[in-house]
Amino acid sequence: MKATIWAGRNSVDVENVPDPKILNDRDAIVRITSTAICGSDLHLVDGYVPTMKKGDIMGHEFMGEVVETGRGVTNLQVGDRVVVPFPIACGSCWSCRHELFSLCENSNPNARLAEKMFGFPTAGIFGYSHLTGGFAGGQAEYARVPFADVGPIKIEDTTIPDETVLFLSDILPTGYMGAEFCEISGGEVIAVWGAGPVGQFAAASAKMLGAERVIVIDRFDYRLRIARENLDVETLNYEDVDSVPEALKADRRSGPRCVHRRGRARGALPRARLCLRPHQAGDAAGDRAADRAARGDHELPQRRDHLGHRRLRRADGQVPDRRADEQGPLDQERPVPRAPLHAAAA
Amino acid sequence: MAAQVRVRDKDSLAQFLGWFSIGLGTAQVTNPKTLCKIVGASDDGIAPLVMRLMGLRELMQGTGILTRPRPTMWLWSRVGGDVLDLSLLLATAVKNRKARTAFAIANVIGVTVPDVYESRFLSRKAGPVRSAKRVRKGVTIDRPRSEVEAAWAAATELRRKVDAEGASVIVAEAPGDRGTELIVQFDYDPPAGDIGAAVQKLSGSDLATQLSDDLRRLKQQIETGQIVRSDGAPDGHLLADHLKQRAAQPLKEAVR
Repeated sequence: MKATIWAGRNSVDVENVPDPKILNDRDAIVRITSTAICGSDLHLVDGYVPTMKKGDIMGHEFMGEVVETGRGVTNLQVGDRVVVPFPIACGSCWSCRHELFSLCENSNPNARLAEKMFGFPTAGIFGYSHLTGGFAGGQAEYARVPFADVGPIKIEDTTIPDETVLFLSDILPTGYMGAEFCEISGGEVIAVWGAGPVGQFAAASAKMLGAERVIVIDRFDYRLRIARENLDVETLNYEDVDSVPEALKADRRSGPRCVHRRGRARGALPRARLCLRPHQAGDAAGDRAADRAARGDHELPQRRDHLGHRRLRRADGQVPDRRADEQGPLDQERPVPRAPLHAAAA
Repeated sequence: MAAQVRVRDKDSLAQFLGWFSIGLGTAQVTNPKTLCKIVGASDDGIAPLVMRLMGLRELMQGTGILTRPRPTMWLWSRVGGDVLDLSLLLATAVKNRKARTAFAIANVIGVTVPDVYESRFLSRKAGPVRSAKRVRKGVTIDRPRSEVEAAWAAATELRRKVDAEGASVIVAEAPGDRGTELIVQFDYDPPAGDIGAAVQKLSGSDLATQLSDDLRRLKQQIETGQIVRSDGAPDGHLLADHLKQRAAQPLKEAVR
């Protein structure tokens, strides 16, 4: 099959690799119909995340059709259409029993290494370095899904297109988690720093959970426009103002409840702190949150994010009304053989 | 629970000073001319020879500190070596009058302080020499105690390995309904002290390193019914093979 592989720092390639096989009874093989590139894939491409090996198949956001199942997988049949969440979870350890699936104690064979580096291990993750297990990823034609009786979300409604449900694999629940951290009970003012796809999902989720006003802050007008048009939120281009806190005050928006920040917006958290009402928690969702916490970099009270199926399961309910996941953060769509171009574009 | 974790005489500062000696000594022996330049001595004549001799001295001291269970005299010999180094450097400073010699002197004084501190610390140790390190390796398995005990009884190969080391095994209920703790505890005292320990760790041949994998595998087996295999580690994780993990790509041949 063809797959997108890491070929060294800042180098990604498409190569022919062997087809995946069932290795354990609880595995399934999925023929991938759609896959996405995550912002966090950039940290792999540029070598920020250690323990990548040349030839590693990338990608942790994918969905497709089950083509083979191991003997232990009884809840899936060949032909089922599934979205595969990025954390691999065994379903039977203490963490999994308490729905902390991203902390699964068994699914990462290299957990000891992660433990030494971060102080805590993570679950296995598809296509995300050897620290998270060395699992082949989903930017490929097929993928082996371990513990397939636990993770995959069956999509039975065939009228829903792939791009509507694909983001259940990672970024929709990530954004949703950011909103959920804000403990919205109705009527809040929520500020979202960063209007990339995750920020858009966070804003949409905050609205859905009952926030009265959602203010999305970024410096890219096209992203802010998408947020305004699709999500019916207010926006603020921070390059147009001298001071974001002052701008919020001037607009009588003082005291947003919570913040969400994503990825590479350096310094967003310290700036955000100046805008918050006293005692309001700010939270960072996304893959940089944990490493900031590990560095003791706590400008704001943060909660360690346990991103995982727990959020996915709840977010699952969002599919039928197609609100949070319908609008268009998906800006490009390309078949696998052109992946390096797409990676370059990202 | 007052479990005594540190039971041996040598502490990590002594270990550090031992490895420091080995490192410095290796540099002095293999590259005496460069080291001479760094400290402001001339790189021809007798100076490189002296440098090499001092390197041999460091190597001997380092080996002594790392291999002896209570290396008090070896630490004091480091203090003596510091005094010797300082006098040689002072002579160099008087002769060549270079700023980098002063820098070297400052560095030697910098390491003399911990040398004296550690020598005095070890001098105060009395009673029988204790060389073994207490090792505790445990895993919490989310199953009732009886089930864990039965699985332990069935794991004959692992049990034999643990018994051979004279290790004690504790099976206890974990607090807060978290299943069962399985703890293996033993005293580890490899031949050749810290150097032996480093060799065994790198080759993965000591029990502590092996238990890291074995206990995790036992947990996987009990909780999920299988050993977790990834494309990078298709046979499950083995610390000894860690650096040899393959790329995360499907295998050409099925491994089962």
